[in-house]
Amino acid sequence: MKKSLIIVLSLTLVLGTVFAASAKQAGVLEIWTDKVRYEILKPIASDFEDDYSVEVELSQINYDDIRSKFNKAAPSEEGPDLLIGAHDWTGELAQNGLLEPITMSEDLKGQFTEVSLDAFTYNGEIYGLPYSMEAIALIYNKDLVEKEPETWAELMTISKNLTNPEKKQYGFVFPGTGDPYHTYPFLSAYGGYIFQYDGGFDPNQLGLTTEGALKGLRKLDTMYEEGLIPQGIDYSTSQGLFTEGDAGMWMTGPWAISGIKEAGIDFGVMKMPPMDGNQPKPFVGVNGFYLSAYAEDTVLANEFLTNYVATEEVMAKLYEEGNRPPVYKPVRQKAKDDPTTAAFLKSASVGMPMPNIPEMNATWGALTDKLQLISQQKQEPKAAMESAEEIITQAIEKGEY
Amino acid sequence: MRNIFQSRVSGTLLKTVFLGALDGIAIWASVQLFLQSEVGFAVALLIGAAVINYVFLSQKTYPVRYMVPGLIFLFAFVVYPIGYTFYLSTTNYGTGHILNKSQAIESLETQYYQPENPTSYTFNAYENDQGKMKLLLKSGTDENLYLTEGKKLKEVNQGSDRLVDTDGDGTIDRIGEYSIMTRTEVIRSLQTLQEWRPKSGKVSLQMSDLNHFQEQIAQYEYIESREVMKDRRTGEIFKPVEGTFVSTTSNKKLQPGFKASVGLENFIRIFTDPLITGPFFRVFTWTFIWAFMSVLTTFALGLGIALLLNDDQLSLKPLYKGLLILPYAIPAFISALIWRGFFNTNVGIINTKILQPLFGIAPAWFQDPILAKVAVLLVNLWLGFPYMMIVCLGALQSIQPELYEVAKVDGASPFQQFRKITFPLLMVSVAPLLIGSFAFNFNNFNIIFLVSRGEPPIVGATTAGSTDILISYTYKLAFGGQGATQYGLAAAISIIIFLIVGTISAVNFHYTGALEEMSENV
Repeated sequence: MKKSLIIVLSLTLVLGTVFAASAKQAGVLEIWTDKVRYEILKPIASDFEDDYSVEVELSQINYDDIRSKFNKAAPSEEGPDLLIGAHDWTGELAQNGLLEPITMSEDLKGQFTEVSLDAFTYNGEIYGLPYSMEAIALIYNKDLVEKEPETWAELMTISKNLTNPEKKQYGFVFPGTGDPYHTYPFLSAYGGYIFQYDGGFDPNQLGLTTEGALKGLRKLDTMYEEGLIPQGIDYSTSQGLFTEGDAGMWMTGPWAISGIKEAGIDFGVMKMPPMDGNQPKPFVGVNGFYLSAYAEDTVLANEFLTNYVATEEVMAKLYEEGNRPPVYKPVRQKAKDDPTTAAFLKSASVGMPMPNIPEMNATWGALTDKLQLISQQKQEPKAAMESAEEIITQAIEKGEY
Repeated sequence: MRNIFQSRVSGTLLKTVFLGALDGIAIWASVQLFLQSEVGFAVALLIGAAVINYVFLSQKTYPVRYMVPGLIFLFAFVVYPIGYTFYLSTTNYGTGHILNKSQAIESLETQYYQPENPTSYTFNAYENDQGKMKLLLKSGTDENLYLTEGKKLKEVNQGSDRLVDTDGDGTIDRIGEYSIMTRTEVIRSLQTLQEWRPKSGKVSLQMSDLNHFQEQIAQYEYIESREVMKDRRTGEIFKPVEGTFVSTTSNKKLQPGFKASVGLENFIRIFTDPLITGPFFRVFTWTFIWAFMSVLTTFALGLGIALLLNDDQLSLKPLYKGLLILPYAIPAFISALIWRGFFNTNVGIINTKILQPLFGIAPAWFQDPILAKVAVLLVNLWLGFPYMMIVCLGALQSIQPELYEVAKVDGASPFQQFRKITFPLLMVSVAPLLIGSFAFNFNNFNIIFLVSRGEPPIVGATTAGSTDILISYTYKLAFGGQGATQYGLAAAISIIIFLIVGTISAVNFHYTGALEEMSENV
């Protein structure tokens, strides 16, 4: 008994020391990134390691998980110093006290498009270093649509000619059944909006029942009524229809391009044609790097962003390999030579940044439901949007978002 | 004799190695936990390790040894999560209330505002032999020089004889015993530099980039004695109310808030908030119908097929069994998503390839409330019947064939045999499983979320859909948006569901006991 106790104790000591010695060393710059960005950041991370003699740890994390993981990890100081993300997380993360504003010189700010910096601005501070921008546009099959529609009325005519539900053929498809993101161009065309924008988004000023919003949604309603848009279409079904050549036009974003190319469809991209002279405005989403409020070394992390990421070489790579239109002006010039990117950029330039306030969280569920009811012809746009506004207002008042 | 001795020695050796390794890990982990100021976990870990050591080293506790691992896992994976969920349900943990109180105060106290025209300072850093640092800052507006004395900032004369420029290049190289640091040395000390914030009055200087410090004024001041936050700019006082600093004079709230106890607030909200209570009864009813119908349909089909497969005259049995088990073998996630595609009204193969050509109809599956319910039940039937089939096949094997011979002699028809012999005896072993299946389907989030997503929506101001069950409805409420996180509320609803399922399980145990008594009499 005694003997074994002594052995246990001595083993404890030995192993305890071994484990303690192998504990993680402090003083590293940790970056959370997705797979595509991981490969791009790897070489510059090692440059940074050499120049500043600090260790850079790149962690590859599924893009969709970054936001919730960061929310949980950061307060317990297990989060990263830098992370990539979409601009509409800004409000939530900043409200949670997890973000540090990024220090950029006026010179550097001038290198980015204004809309991309605005997107990351919350309560007057810039919380993200943007690298790409995306907005949906109209992608069309050149074999089916000979001439780009110049107005929405033309689009409707083309649509009518191509639609043949029995043969599963459609003129116009979009992942729109209850998808507020893809439906926003309709909502915004005649001046509708979700939250009013005046230098910042106002969570108390909803615009879903404004005359402009309803007018646009009625246009959508008509298309469903006339059977021009198939029911219950989500992203993958619309992709299937378009890549198999069964759909003439597909309203979606740059993420769809690689799939279309693989399918061998001869396609063109254009910004949405105007409805009675009013431009449908898509949501603009901006991607960028956030700086954690719990970063071990804010200045060092900031240095990495402003001097290593914000360079023409890295920004060009982020554009080419990430396949998203750039926001860094020196690279933007290059991107305009590619007709597809140029068209998406054109569409984004007429768009509106997606609201980055945390209250936006309260809108998705209600809008999804009510837009579905419109598409299913169960409710008129007016009644549907009124109940959506009621739900959203209540949720915002109670802080349920 | 020798063998027994040997095995005892190797047993002791194994025990000591095992305990040594365990203690090593425990000590290392508790040190790490202490360092991260998780004192509770560290103490719990050490106590746990001590108990294990005692149990394995003392002869008195010999019998307990076999139970201890199980008990530890029970505590770690069952008792602790339930307790933590209870705790969360009494807090406001969620968006805007992620940090703890001291973190939130720190976050607010480090919110600075810049005065109208902030002065920027260039700086040089100096270090003495003991590694202590000093900063010499030069104002960008009036070129005045400032020197740090600890946290304080003191103005120095340009011509002060403490400032020595040894090589005459215009840069001060020495200040007393301090000598200038190279750029690499500065970078290594970045953390110290950032946290330095040398002050003069309420103005503090914050490092803004590698070459500059900038004037900043801390906006909020936490007054510890009164537990309130004061806005330096406006003089407004903010009091903490349920995890948020709220102004005493206006309705302004400070961000971020912090995690705080809200008592039974979350539970009260579930029962009084019209957004939640409105569709609650409707969802509740459908949850019961869904769970009941799921069990009924899968059991009926599973039993039917099992009876057919149990027939001795049937050939190629293994083939049929193999094919019929397939739905069970494919991961439910994949088949659920495939079925969602099949049921698509316009392009799904159920409508376009089967119903349309054969019957000329194309039902709007996920647009009609009744049809959507039928669709999810059909998918669950496909996924669930193989399980029931396997269970029934096993149970059928255990029924003694003599009973049927006796029944035949007595002239019982096949249906009578089924009703009087097969079914009652089958129920003895299958009934508890049916109740278990009911409890499982009651919380079958996957199928609802993946197949119908709760669709179609209900007209009116509500977030519930026609096919939403309690658990998917909870999910929509708590995580409804694209990142909304109402952990406190979600925990409260989970507890209510836990109570419901717990009651069902209690009934299950009770019922199982009753059946066992019955089978003893058979």
